[in-house]
Amino acid sequence: MTSPNAFVPASPLIEAIDVHKSFGPIEVLKGINLSVKKGEVVCLLGPSGSGKSTFLRCINHLERMTSGRILVDGQLVGYHERGGALYEMSGKELAVQRRDIGMVFQRFNLFAHQDVLTNISQAPILNRGQAREQALARARDLLKMVDLDGRGHAYPYQLSGGQQQRVAIARALAMNPKLMLFDEPTSALDPELVGEVLGVMRKLASEGMTMIVVTHELSFAREVADRVVFMDQGIVVEEGAARDILDNPRQERTQAFLRRMH
Amino acid sequence: MISQKIIPARNWGQRIAAAFLVAAVAGLLFMVGTSRHITWSAIPQYIFDATILDGIRLTILFTIMSMIISILAGAILATMRLASNPVLSGFSSLYIWFFRGTPLLVQIIFWFNIQLFIPSIDIAGFHLDTNTIVTAFVAALLALSLNEAAYMAEIIRGGLLAVDSGQHEAAKALGYTPFQSMVRIIFPQALRVIIPPIGNQTISMLKTTSLVSVVAAQDLLTRAQNIYARNFLIIELLIVASIWYLVMTTIASIVQYAIERRLGKSTRQVPDLWASALRLMRAEGRNG
Repeated sequence: MTSPNAFVPASPLIEAIDVHKSFGPIEVLKGINLSVKKGEVVCLLGPSGSGKSTFLRCINHLERMTSGRILVDGQLVGYHERGGALYEMSGKELAVQRRDIGMVFQRFNLFAHQDVLTNISQAPILNRGQAREQALARARDLLKMVDLDGRGHAYPYQLSGGQQQRVAIARALAMNPKLMLFDEPTSALDPELVGEVLGVMRKLASEGMTMIVVTHELSFAREVADRVVFMDQGIVVEEGAARDILDNPRQERTQAFLRRMH
Repeated sequence: MISQKIIPARNWGQRIAAAFLVAAVAGLLFMVGTSRHITWSAIPQYIFDATILDGIRLTILFTIMSMIISILAGAILATMRLASNPVLSGFSSLYIWFFRGTPLLVQIIFWFNIQLFIPSIDIAGFHLDTNTIVTAFVAALLALSLNEAAYMAEIIRGGLLAVDSGQHEAAKALGYTPFQSMVRIIFPQALRVIIPPIGNQTISMLKTTSLVSVVAAQDLLTRAQNIYARNFLIIELLIVASIWYLVMTTIASIVQYAIERRLGKSTRQVPDLWASALRLMRAEGRNG
């Protein structure tokens, strides 16, 4: 419930309520509840197969949940509610909704046939109605921000993994999203390239971007995350302040996972 | 130190085989060249004959028109095949199965004789004799286009499937509508995979059009046949036709080579996409 009264505490920017997801007979999400405030950085941790990436992909409806609901900025994601039923949105309506939700993928997914500037500026031109010049200027600024000044005319295959991922972050930011989803952004990178991507994400967090990050980088979570959510087998096992969870996990499963990670 | 000459091993078997081959080809050429049954002067006489040139015009027209129609129809069929609706994908599969599974020659004769079971078309008092619409030209064009569309559908589908699913997802996440994503992201990348086999199909189509001579559709081969039916210079006119087919396919090959080189330059992705398209199509083939 949003209120016009500015003194009432703001409603969460992202709210997930009892999200279930099954792939055939396998239930990968068994009722996830999560709420994220504006400006908060939340890291989703957990063993592979715990459902954290699937959950993240439900937030912009890349994955269709089986039941439950997700609200972003007070708006139901992916569905219209009419007469007690949820009707899935059309492709066009989904596209409009996704423009406010930035996403960065494990495997970068830069458009292979476009140079870096086109990768970054095309969506704002097409989908935000930005003038070409304005979009290109913004793209150059964003490239500066991710330390790739002057690489605008390179094609994705000419860049290292770390550079591609930084372009992917710039591309998502060009849409001026309300929040950013990161799906294991450093898992496909050579170890020496992880730092440059995490550096950009750190910068973004310090600028107040709302972020949900699925990651295995515990030191990043400890340093940057306001909150850590530990998932296992489709449920949230434990959540809380990063230091509490990482240094003093209360649940047996969290302890076992952290032991394996060290 | 004395520098010694190095002599590679001589492969005597290959040398003997090559000598035999040269002798056989020379013998054959001599036999043909000195044959008193071939009127060599007929070849230069007919090579630029107005009837032959008109036949070439029609052969090119058949090739271009059937390729355009089949690419459009193939794109629709490929999209249908990939649709989630089982009726749409089922229809597309059935179409491809049918048109690839029956000989083109049969299809050409079939379209030419369509009036035998659809004598006329009557829609709301509007009457048309099938015979007046489906001329030899139309029958030939229909047969070539509808048959080629089945192959084109598979080529285009292979191209679309070769584009990594991550590209779809990134486009979605950036708020591209399904149409924008197709036009801006997926199709341009699929094109790199689709164009080389379309080139092959075009070159093949130049020759395949000769099949329409069976319904006397006035292509190059029909014209050559018409002429030799009168003067009995059968071999001579077949040589004339062959020369022209070779000229056309050679030019088409050069154009194809130029296009592929240009495509290859713009990104290193080409061989990867190409390989994955082939892999996918083979995998599909194994499944049935």
